[in-house]
Amino acid sequence: MKFFIDNLPIIFPYDRIYPEQYAYMCDLKRTLDATGHCVLEMPSGTGKTVSLLSLIVSYQQFFPTRRKLIYCSRTVPEIEKALAELKRLMEYRLSCAETEEQKEKERNFTGLGLTSRKNLCINPEVAREKKGKVVDAKCRDLTNSVACEKGRANPGSVELCDWHENLGKMEPGQLIPTGIFTLADVLQYGHDNRICPYFAVRRMMPFVDVIIYSFHYLLDPKVAEQVSKEMSKDAIVVFDEAHNIDNVCIESLSIDLTRPMLDAASRNVTRLGEKIEEVKATDAAKLQDEYAKLVEGLQESLEPDNDTDDYMANPLLPDDLLQEAVPGNIRKAEHFVAFLKRFVEYLKTRMRVLHVVAETPLSFLQHLKDITYIERRPLRFCAERLQSLIRTLEITRLDEYSGLQKVAAFATLVATYEKGFLLILEPYETDNATVPNPVFHFTCLDPSLAIKPVFERFSSVVITSGTISPLDMYPKMLQFTPVIQETYPMTLTRNAFLPLVITRGSDQVAISSRFEVRNDPAVVRNFGSILIEYSKIVPDGIVAFFPSYLYMESIVAAWNDMGILNEVWKHKLIFVETPDANETSIALENYRRACDNGRGAVLLSVARGKVSEGIDFDHNYGRAVIMFGVPYQYTESRILKARLEYLRDAYRIRESEFLGFDAMRNAAQCVGRVLRGKTDWGLMIFADKRFARADKRAKLPKWINQYITETASNLSTDMALTLSKLFMRTISQNPDENQTGISLWTLQDIEKAQAKQRELALENGKHNKEDDDYGDGGISDSALMDLDMDD
Amino acid sequence: MPTTVCTAKASCKKLPGLLELTNTHLQWTQDGNKAPSIRVPYADASSLFCSKEGAAQVKLKLGLVGDDAEHYFTFTSMPQTLALAEREKFKQELTAIIGRNRGVIDSPQKPGPTPIKSSTSLPVTASGTTGAQRTGLALGRPSVSRATSVSSDRRATPVITGADPASEFALRKKVLLANPELGALHKDLVMTGQITEAEFWDGREHLILAQAAAENQKKGKPGQIVDPRPETVEGGEIKILITPQLVLDIFDEYPIVKKAYSENVPSKLSQAEFWKRYFQSKLFHAHRASIRSSAAQHVVKDDPIFDKYLEKDDDELEPRKPRNENVTAFVDLLATMEDHGETGNEKDITMQAGRQKAALPLIRKFNEHSERLLNSALGDIPAAKRRRLDHGEDGLAEIVIDDLQDPESSDGIPLDMQDRQRYFEGRMAGVGGSNSDPSKPHDPKLALQALRAGVQGWDARLAELKVERKPGDSAFVYMTQNVMNRLNVRSQKNDIPPGVFKDMIACQTATDEFLRQFWSAVYPPLGDLQVASQATPAQRAAKAARMIGYISATPEKVQKLIRAGEMHGCPPKKIETAMKPVLDAVNQAIKFHKMKTGGKA
Repeated sequence: MKFFIDNLPIIFPYDRIYPEQYAYMCDLKRTLDATGHCVLEMPSGTGKTVSLLSLIVSYQQFFPTRRKLIYCSRTVPEIEKALAELKRLMEYRLSCAETEEQKEKERNFTGLGLTSRKNLCINPEVAREKKGKVVDAKCRDLTNSVACEKGRANPGSVELCDWHENLGKMEPGQLIPTGIFTLADVLQYGHDNRICPYFAVRRMMPFVDVIIYSFHYLLDPKVAEQVSKEMSKDAIVVFDEAHNIDNVCIESLSIDLTRPMLDAASRNVTRLGEKIEEVKATDAAKLQDEYAKLVEGLQESLEPDNDTDDYMANPLLPDDLLQEAVPGNIRKAEHFVAFLKRFVEYLKTRMRVLHVVAETPLSFLQHLKDITYIERRPLRFCAERLQSLIRTLEITRLDEYSGLQKVAAFATLVATYEKGFLLILEPYETDNATVPNPVFHFTCLDPSLAIKPVFERFSSVVITSGTISPLDMYPKMLQFTPVIQETYPMTLTRNAFLPLVITRGSDQVAISSRFEVRNDPAVVRNFGSILIEYSKIVPDGIVAFFPSYLYMESIVAAWNDMGILNEVWKHKLIFVETPDANETSIALENYRRACDNGRGAVLLSVARGKVSEGIDFDHNYGRAVIMFGVPYQYTESRILKARLEYLRDAYRIRESEFLGFDAMRNAAQCVGRVLRGKTDWGLMIFADKRFARADKRAKLPKWINQYITETASNLSTDMALTLSKLFMRTISQNPDENQTGISLWTLQDIEKAQAKQRELALENGKHNKEDDDYGDGGISDSALMDLDMDD
Repeated sequence: MPTTVCTAKASCKKLPGLLELTNTHLQWTQDGNKAPSIRVPYADASSLFCSKEGAAQVKLKLGLVGDDAEHYFTFTSMPQTLALAEREKFKQELTAIIGRNRGVIDSPQKPGPTPIKSSTSLPVTASGTTGAQRTGLALGRPSVSRATSVSSDRRATPVITGADPASEFALRKKVLLANPELGALHKDLVMTGQITEAEFWDGREHLILAQAAAENQKKGKPGQIVDPRPETVEGGEIKILITPQLVLDIFDEYPIVKKAYSENVPSKLSQAEFWKRYFQSKLFHAHRASIRSSAAQHVVKDDPIFDKYLEKDDDELEPRKPRNENVTAFVDLLATMEDHGETGNEKDITMQAGRQKAALPLIRKFNEHSERLLNSALGDIPAAKRRRLDHGEDGLAEIVIDDLQDPESSDGIPLDMQDRQRYFEGRMAGVGGSNSDPSKPHDPKLALQALRAGVQGWDARLAELKVERKPGDSAFVYMTQNVMNRLNVRSQKNDIPPGVFKDMIACQTATDEFLRQFWSAVYPPLGDLQVASQATPAQRAAKAARMIGYISATPEKVQKLIRAGEMHGCPPKKIETAMKPVLDAVNQAIKFHKMKTGGKA
């Protein structure tokens, strides 16, 4: 369908539209017009991605500036789905285009997705490696500029990658034809044309209209520096599924050091030393050259000639990039190696301590200076200096140097930030462990640090998800001011989902995953009987989530011994999430087969785990989701404690408030994945007595909370079963044919709503006409829109 | 007269006969005799034994309460699978009856073993499939999956009936066994020769088809995981009951045991010894893979033979057998893990997967077991091919929201009309002729005036409204009568003598059948379904005439019934009323027939 929002013609690739989608698109447009940021929560399964893409593509195609869209998602399945949505949208737009000129315009629209070398490599020699790090290293060896130069000058002397070479022979900007390519399409295209998909996408990035990749590519400075730095400032940035964005921010600036890592690092240092001696003997000029460059300053020396030379990334944010010259005491290669050696030894000594230590970066630096005379300034340049050295020495198989890279990144970070970070040394894994296994955590406490450059650089940042309540938490944690902050209720003509809170078993024993009672046999049995009973009455798929891996693994064993799973086997197959990702994927695929086949299956997995992120359980893949317990974080974790303390001091967010918020957003995320579309249906079962409390429920997204009735908020298992049966009987009737007009809009409904809105606006306009202007004396939006740009 | 629950051909003391289970008795009638020679009331049945599945003869033994005498019946129906099915049916019914007897008699004896010996009567799962293959339609079609086999059945519809008389006969028999009433009707009409077998089944093919489909339905394996739990008997000894089924399951679940079995039995160990040692070995405890096994560790002995087969516990973070197959992009978790370098601090201990090492083999066993069950039902095709079959080339179905598509928009077919323009122009002209000026808009003022004139004086007109007395009264009387009639029916007692009642039912069903045959002979055949068994018009006319002969005898039969009722003290009026619809239908048929033949003549 085609309609207008203000003057903007929107092409939406369906015949109908949900009112939520329309409202969402209106708000999105306002954000883009105002060139500001926004936080939008739209109920899961109501077509958020398609509305978003539909509006933004319409916007891009209408205005001549063609602002680029950077669309970030969490997981590869989600990236692939977004690409597929985009592809479908563009096909629809093409079919709608009237003139040949318009058609040409739609055909020229290009969208690509980027993921790692491991996922995109098609060189069989490299792709067969299992670890992403090894793939990266091998790929660099075959594609870096020095190797390429040598190989091209003297064919056969150095092994090169044919796929990458073929790419070099092509016209830049024409590596991939226009249009939308999903990751699978790009791989296929690479196979067919014998070109490297990874570099094709990377080099096409300046030319595309839409790029879809993971959060990390924009938030993690190590990656962002290589991948995203050429993005223009007027690009539209979207963080979809952004409910965990604060965690991604924190992760991208945190580092762990362990004993094995330090051991590897000292071996690396020795090898570097040997290498330097070697080079000195054969090609001393090289080192001299490097020294001269370093005197001039880092920036020029590090400007890479092309994108293949990303040896090692700098963990610093672009803001802090150093413009000054490298300090004298680490300019010389052998001095730098000695410097590194001293630092690694210091860290090793620190690790020998057998009690927990928590200190700020400043106190760490002070102690470091007292013991080893290492200053803060050279430490800051550690990562950069190492990068330069590795380049000079032409070191291959970089994955073997990962220990040293970690140490260097740690050194740079610790010497750069004073606030918002903490160092925690934990000598033992658990409180009652006897064998020390020390870990040095360098942990970022402030999520706003990593995302700050994004907000500063890009004019429009959209943060959106199906479950991002309470909305005001995100601007607070990420330190930005949104122009629009909105959550949409779900309009339904009949209740498509039934949220139930089970607080006690049929024997009236209260159920809870609270640490004190979670292993109580009565609780375990009651949890088990919920699973048994639901596996009896629910068709096809049931997904059950546990608050942690530890709890899931112990309860699965306990259920097996109690004979509970034997009962479940009678009705459904059982699949369980395992530590291995590939193994779990295969289990997931089999789970889906069992659901398609009608055999039915139960999937046991973990909230915040691998499966809970990015896998949808719509339609028959999830007729019921059971949340066993409240997915609180492990409050004994020292890192979490430090973070809570920081949030309290810096942003006045109370500990309990944050913990509750975090648990509920994860619970909502788990149950929210059952729906896609309004004819889909599912049960959402919250099994813990703590869900009954009003303050907990208030943290759920509005669209879920509004359907929890007072009676359904405190049920025993048998009562919940009765309600569920009743619900399934009603929902299995033919859907009420006439949703249109209420929860489903046709073009006429949109026009009606718009007419109404205009009337309202007219009324309001009479009162406050002046408010519409931004007051900055610039050209107003409507003037811009009316301007004829073709001349 | 009791109704029959099930019947079967069975011999007793080597004499052929018919075994019947009515709603009160189990009775056996020797062929040729009228009265049953053995009649056992339900209350007397106390125990039941069956011969093993696969034994040469299909036998059933019934023990009686307070009597040492036992009755042996041998099921003689051919083929044997049919006999088995019949026996199964009897067994089910009798087990329920005996169970009830036990409950009632609160017997002073100790609650002995269940009447059915578990070892002998355990249904071997394989029998379900082999049975279906043998009795089934024998079309030589490998049933790959359930879906395909069902669909091909449907396509083959007309062929099945009459393809293989033996198997069809078996199917019919089963249908009759399953529906006692239909069986009674069949006995009354077909066995007495009033109508032929083919006529009887004509129009009932769907029952046979349903039966065939049910038999051909491949039963999946039960989902439970093989986990023989030892029971402790007195003296601290541990007992595990080994059935052939259990052995099969263990071999299926743990190929390594099968390997051990084939390598060691009977060369090194006897069968009994093999199992005895297996259940004591570490191998068995590794297979049980639960938290329990750690407690059982001290009972486990070293075993030189079985320890050879011991595999390393599958409790590492990565599975012991790495699986390299690709998965669909939409569920690929590995791709996400490899999407970017590792960042951040390690997860806290509760969120590190696989810390409970003991649970990992168990979890892996669940996944493997589920996958095996799935593959046994769906066939083990490679993942890539399967995906192509299931989803087609792209996974668009996964992202499209169906309810946003307009269902009507695609359904229309444009009407391809000749001279469209002329048609519409012609219509326009016609409309223009009748209406002075269609382009002129309606004047709302005029319309309002007309409306106002129409409703003027409505109150006076309402006051003039009068309801006629006579129709009102008659309606009221009619309603009262209706209520009374219903009340009468409600308060009436069901006092027709049971014998007469049964005869009435028999008469009615028989007449129904005749009527059905008659009308189906008169009316043109339904669709093109039974092309093969199409009868010529002459045949059909002959059949109709024959049927009408039977039908015209019905009033007489009804009269007989009424007289019989009178003898038992039942008012004739009652039976007459009850049989009236039947008679009406009969008269209708006779009239129609007369008219038709008269017309011809």
